[in-house]
Amino acid sequence: MPRGDTFLRIAAVGDVHMADDLRGRYAPALAELAAKADALLVAGDLTQHGTLDETAAFAEEFATSKVPVVAVLGNHDHHSGLDQEIAELIGRAGITVLEGEGVVVDTPRGRIGVAGAKGFCLGFTGRCAANFGETQMKAFTQHGIDSAELLRRGFDDLDEAEPSPDVRIALTHFAPTTSTLRGEPAEIWPFLGNHLLGEVIDDARVDLSVHGHAHAGSERGKTEGGVPVRNVAQPVIRSAYRIYEIPVRVTAA
Amino acid sequence: MKNEHTNQRVEQAIANDARTNELGVRIDCIDRRVLVRGEVASEERRAAVLEVVREQLPEAEIVDHLRLSDAAQPPRRAEVVQPD
Repeated sequence: MPRGDTFLRIAAVGDVHMADDLRGRYAPALAELAAKADALLVAGDLTQHGTLDETAAFAEEFATSKVPVVAVLGNHDHHSGLDQEIAELIGRAGITVLEGEGVVVDTPRGRIGVAGAKGFCLGFTGRCAANFGETQMKAFTQHGIDSAELLRRGFDDLDEAEPSPDVRIALTHFAPTTSTLRGEPAEIWPFLGNHLLGEVIDDARVDLSVHGHAHAGSERGKTEGGVPVRNVAQPVIRSAYRIYEIPVRVTAA
Repeated sequence: MKNEHTNQRVEQAIANDARTNELGVRIDCIDRRVLVRGEVASEERRAAVLEVVREQLPEAEIVDHLRLSDAAQPPRRAEVVQPD
């Protein structure tokens, strides 16, 4: 960490739902990002229907950014059954796609650790699916449980990184808390997030948790353990991205 | 037919139709009028939603209250994020 830099600047947006009709919409704002941020996180739903044409539009638009870009996929990106191909296509454009992995982005101002996973439905206390009953119900619930385990693996990668990152960020599409779902009908919260994601984040010494998916939710919230959570779904933030400045942890020499 | 059933059927069509796949559009049928609410990202997506609604309810008068997403401008300032 260079002396004098006390925070890292993280730009983030989710739910851009890119397709041909939105080409050029983000490029002007992305072109000036290098002066404002050290990295850009994209919190899923990169495409509208999960097609490769839409993926190409996303990759061309967001590759114009001159900062490292890290993304997770969202439910829309899975709709056409091409999630692997989408991740590969985006990866070839120089954008890192995470699903159960962590990456340390080395920037001139410091090292940004990002653990990423799409996440899934499941719900929260009092409104949560149980791993019980029909095979289909258990499969639904198990996918939610597995999604949190993938996020935990991402933090395992950060724990093993040498040198360790200066800040640690959780990047998901689904929400880890209800606090950023305010504005959405409570009846659909179980389809918007997963309390196990929040548990993983509270266990993992996280500085910031970023998600999307809840278009009618709220930008600012926190986990039960007090980790700041930001819902950066584009219809929520109503801008090309948000920028968060994260103080670097001071560790004893 | 109950309006609630019609609302749900049309919302499902908008979510499932490959021309739209919009999950945030809400439908309210009141007599022969259908109110279409929600946010879409472009004029093309607004037209596609209204086309699906028209196919589902060809006799209805469509009232378009769809909102277009804001332009993707950079934010004015950064936020300093501090833990509790």
